[in-house]
Amino acid sequence: MSNPNHDRGEHYLTTPKAEPFLERLIFNNRAVILIGFLILTAFLGYNAVKIQPDASFERMIPLEHPYVINMLDHRNDLENLGNFVRIAVETKTGDIFSPEYMETLKQITDEVFYLNGVDRSGLKTLWTSNVRWVEVTEQGFQGGNVIPDDYDGSPASLEQLRQNILRSNEVGRLVSDNFQSTIVYAPLYEKNPETGEPLDYATFSRELEEKIRNKYEAQNPNIKIHIVGFAKKVGDLIEGIGSIAWFAGITILLTTLLLFWYSRCITGTLVPVFTSIVAVFLQLGALRLLGYGLDPYSVLVPFLVFAIGISHGVQIVNAMAVEAAKGFDAITAARLAFRALYIPGMLALISDAFGFLTLFFIEIDVIRDLAIAAGLGVAFVIITNLVLHVLIMSYLGISKGGVRHVQNHGEKQDRKWRLMSYFAHPGVAPISLLIAVVGLGLGLYYKQDLKVGDLDQGAPELRADSRYNLDNAYIIDNYSTSADVLVVMVKTPAEQCTQYNVLRAMDSLQWELQNTPGVQSSASLADVSKIVTKALNEGNWKWYEISRNQTIINASIREAPSGLINTKCSLTPVLVFLEDHKAETLETVVERVEVFAEANSNDNHTFLLAAGNAGVEAATNEVIANAKDMMLILVYSVVSLLCFATFRSIRAVLCIVVPLGLTSILCEAIMAVSGIGIKVATLPVIALGVGIGVDYGIYIYSKLEKYLLEGKTLQDAYFETLRSTGKAVMFTGVTLGLGVVTWIFSPIKFQADMGFLLFFMFLWNMIGAIWLLPALARFLLRPDQMIATARAAK
Amino acid sequence: MAKRLMCKTLGAACLGLSMVWSAPAAYALADLIETPARQTDLAPSNLLTDAVRAGDRIVAVGERGHIIYSDDGGKSWEQGSVPVSVTLTAVDFGTETHGWAVGHSGVVLHTEDGGENWSLQLTGIDASELAIASKEDQIAAMEERIEEAPESEKADLEWAMDDLIFAMENMQSDLDIGPVNPLLGVWFENDQHGFVVGAYGMILRTQDGGNSWSDWAPKIQNAQNFHLNSITRVTGGALVIVGEAGQIHVSVDNGTTWERRESPYEGSLFGVIGTGQVNEILAFGLRGNMLFSTDLGKSWRMVPNSAGATLNDGAVAEDGRITLVGNGGTVLMSGNGADSFREHFRSDRAGIMSVVPVAGTNLLVVGESGVKITDARGKNLQ
Repeated sequence: MSNPNHDRGEHYLTTPKAEPFLERLIFNNRAVILIGFLILTAFLGYNAVKIQPDASFERMIPLEHPYVINMLDHRNDLENLGNFVRIAVETKTGDIFSPEYMETLKQITDEVFYLNGVDRSGLKTLWTSNVRWVEVTEQGFQGGNVIPDDYDGSPASLEQLRQNILRSNEVGRLVSDNFQSTIVYAPLYEKNPETGEPLDYATFSRELEEKIRNKYEAQNPNIKIHIVGFAKKVGDLIEGIGSIAWFAGITILLTTLLLFWYSRCITGTLVPVFTSIVAVFLQLGALRLLGYGLDPYSVLVPFLVFAIGISHGVQIVNAMAVEAAKGFDAITAARLAFRALYIPGMLALISDAFGFLTLFFIEIDVIRDLAIAAGLGVAFVIITNLVLHVLIMSYLGISKGGVRHVQNHGEKQDRKWRLMSYFAHPGVAPISLLIAVVGLGLGLYYKQDLKVGDLDQGAPELRADSRYNLDNAYIIDNYSTSADVLVVMVKTPAEQCTQYNVLRAMDSLQWELQNTPGVQSSASLADVSKIVTKALNEGNWKWYEISRNQTIINASIREAPSGLINTKCSLTPVLVFLEDHKAETLETVVERVEVFAEANSNDNHTFLLAAGNAGVEAATNEVIANAKDMMLILVYSVVSLLCFATFRSIRAVLCIVVPLGLTSILCEAIMAVSGIGIKVATLPVIALGVGIGVDYGIYIYSKLEKYLLEGKTLQDAYFETLRSTGKAVMFTGVTLGLGVVTWIFSPIKFQADMGFLLFFMFLWNMIGAIWLLPALARFLLRPDQMIATARAAK
Repeated sequence: MAKRLMCKTLGAACLGLSMVWSAPAAYALADLIETPARQTDLAPSNLLTDAVRAGDRIVAVGERGHIIYSDDGGKSWEQGSVPVSVTLTAVDFGTETHGWAVGHSGVVLHTEDGGENWSLQLTGIDASELAIASKEDQIAAMEERIEEAPESEKADLEWAMDDLIFAMENMQSDLDIGPVNPLLGVWFENDQHGFVVGAYGMILRTQDGGNSWSDWAPKIQNAQNFHLNSITRVTGGALVIVGEAGQIHVSVDNGTTWERRESPYEGSLFGVIGTGQVNEILAFGLRGNMLFSTDLGKSWRMVPNSAGATLNDGAVAEDGRITLVGNGGTVLMSGNGADSFREHFRSDRAGIMSVVPVAGTNLLVVGESGVKITDARGKNLQ
């Protein structure tokens, strides 16, 4: 059953009895195991098909961070704050004072009014009756609708409209500063008040596109529509998840072609693709059974699972072709391939899985979901790759063409491998190390600029040139508004939220913040009180102050927007509008608030951070920054421990792990240079990159060690290593890279960032293993001692 | 918090970081009249309520205790050091260096160095105590009068007595809350003598540079305690106060006695200026109403204009041109001694609270959105 050539060298890896047992177990029950796989695949595959997209954005935030806990505690109180869409209706020529424009605006107003999910009473446009102008007269206030009661589209009534708008204080809010657009402001219900069903963001967003943007831009070519708001952003994201299907198809096609080019064997191509797809189905099915859906992060895991499956499958195909070339039949070749690969294969896959599981320490649900999904996926790859794949191949065998390809190709390539084996040469190795040290230095230098958080303007989830972000830029440029809002919650005893001391403290906080770099403006009940107190005093700006007289305060906030006071009057927010959401900005602002809150929270008022998108981002950044080093330490410890457990040598661990470390540092440098911050999306990349990247080193080192123990010189041993596994390792790097490179074209920015960085890490880790590992081995390994230790162990 | 600082790679880089990084000092809030105004670059672009000349210098006051001054005609500004953070409402200089500013919580601030350093001379609590004391005197005097008065007049006097007691109780209950009412106007003759006026008929006089104050409300015919909004001296030496409900008060003896003038307008008057001609008064207020008198208010003429917005302040340039400013970016200009005005609106439509003529025919306006230098029609100069 065995070829004596293969009995040497590998057995020390494990106890001699285990290997035959596992091998016997699997190969003696081939039919039973295959039927078992069939049933499992049918069952989980059925579930996999039914898995639902899950865009629960609550999972993307750190639920255990105090800011987020505060926010969720007071979610109901802040309900009316923030969930709205703003539709800017722009006229391309002239200004808004034309009968055609006003007519289109009226139709859009009506259309939005009937959209499912819109809080109709809060809808605001120039055409709604809640948009008014007010004037102080000797008798009190005088006012009316901004749209003149007798509006008929005539120049006179348009002129009246212009006058009313100027008197209405809506310029910069509902009407752009340049009078070329106006806003349709539509607050949304989180839950439908009649049915209690949560708002369907995907449908709502699609309706905005179809019933508003497409319809009216077609109807009035002079109109351009810009839509922003949380609901629209979520809708666009969900839509973005859909494009993943294309990427999957492209990835599978490219991988299959590449695999055929590599193996020149139909079975050697289709079986790994098939078993990897099986692994993906098993993973998705298991996820669904565990109650998970696919969010924009975990939707990427099947790609990884597929790529990992292929890359390890290649090792099997390669080993089988080598054995078959020696003249063994299909089943023997399969057994030999299994015996040669199940230790490094399992080790590599288990270290992948552990690498992923370190992500579990980050207190953000999507990252944990990602860890679970990827961990599960790798677990399934272990069985599909090492069992299913090998068994199927044991029936089908490698085709003649494939075997010939190995023989011919192998001989032709020897010159190339011989050349590459100089990486282990005593003259070349120091140069390699020097280059690595220079690379390390450059990496450390550039990575100083590495930032936490999102660095671009607009909605960070989407690309800067996405429709949403262009719309957002338009609205920011033309209206006095900011997309980055930090909400400080001010908690008071019930019915006390409007007390002078509360308003006064909020006002002081606001002034403190307005004097903080990065803060654009702020708003709270204190502003409402000041502006209305002024209005109640005949519009005289000299009265612009919070009155100490509670009766006057109460009168001043009678008409305050509902979002600014909760029903019990025990919570009132301070809204802080930021210039951007860069981590430094958030950190500075949050810092100021914390210092203020510490000094000024008492029985009458407690200042709590934080709600608003900037508040959540600040919390996320903090969690990420704290988790980053912890995760790196963990993932490297796990990988090092596993390598040590297998190879029983610290020198071996260094050979394998040092190239990974260099890649990690270079990756951070690249992030800094290309303006990608450490965030929810990119933090997992480091763990994934290291966890998967270690595979190359493990495959190379296990072969290298084997040949060294056979007594070969380092360079000869490395030459043999490259001959037997070099091609497979390089191929693995390319396959893994291909698996993620399509993400770069995702409309979702963080998916693109992940794709770019993983692509880099997969390729560089492969280069590190082939080029740097032998150089390190030259300095670190003591072949004589290794042989002595191995003999002693026997 | 230091824990958020990640010192990752180089100790030296970290050291550098922590040196530029300084924590804002923690402080608990005190009352606004005990909280010094924050030094901030934002003062010239936030609400300012009044601006005046102090010699060559221009001084402006505004919200949050901001007092700023400029020695180059408004191009660049320095912020004075002010011991309070309340909204300030008016400022006037008796000499080039001695000035007074007033504001909410009844504060009176004094500078001796042309606006750089300010000290608190009076708060609303002091003002209320003065007012209550003088009401008590009035009540005591009234009691005597009622005793001595013939039976037929007693009923009327007792009515007046009730009014006095009611007003005093009001003041007392306001004082229980704190210094609730703002001062709204100030005028100083020199470094010794001046008046401050304000909400609910507040008026105080000092003759020793603000060291001591006398309640002057009893000298003013304002039984319903309407707001007094503005005080000025017109050419010829008469003092004029205008206020809520069309009030116009004139003193021809430098403030010792005051006489209420009949007003053709019942709404609020927010500002009053002289025109540069003897005994001429121009008063203005709500919805662009403008009253002109050439005989110290014995007779009035309404000056027609269709601006429609409330007028807050005005100024006379050296060449005699009169500029009035108001809400909604209103700038009115008269080259014919207040016979008629040309109307302009600033493009931002922000309210204007005060105007100071500067170089050439240019104007310095302050208001809702801070300081702007404009041409004679209120258009921004770059």
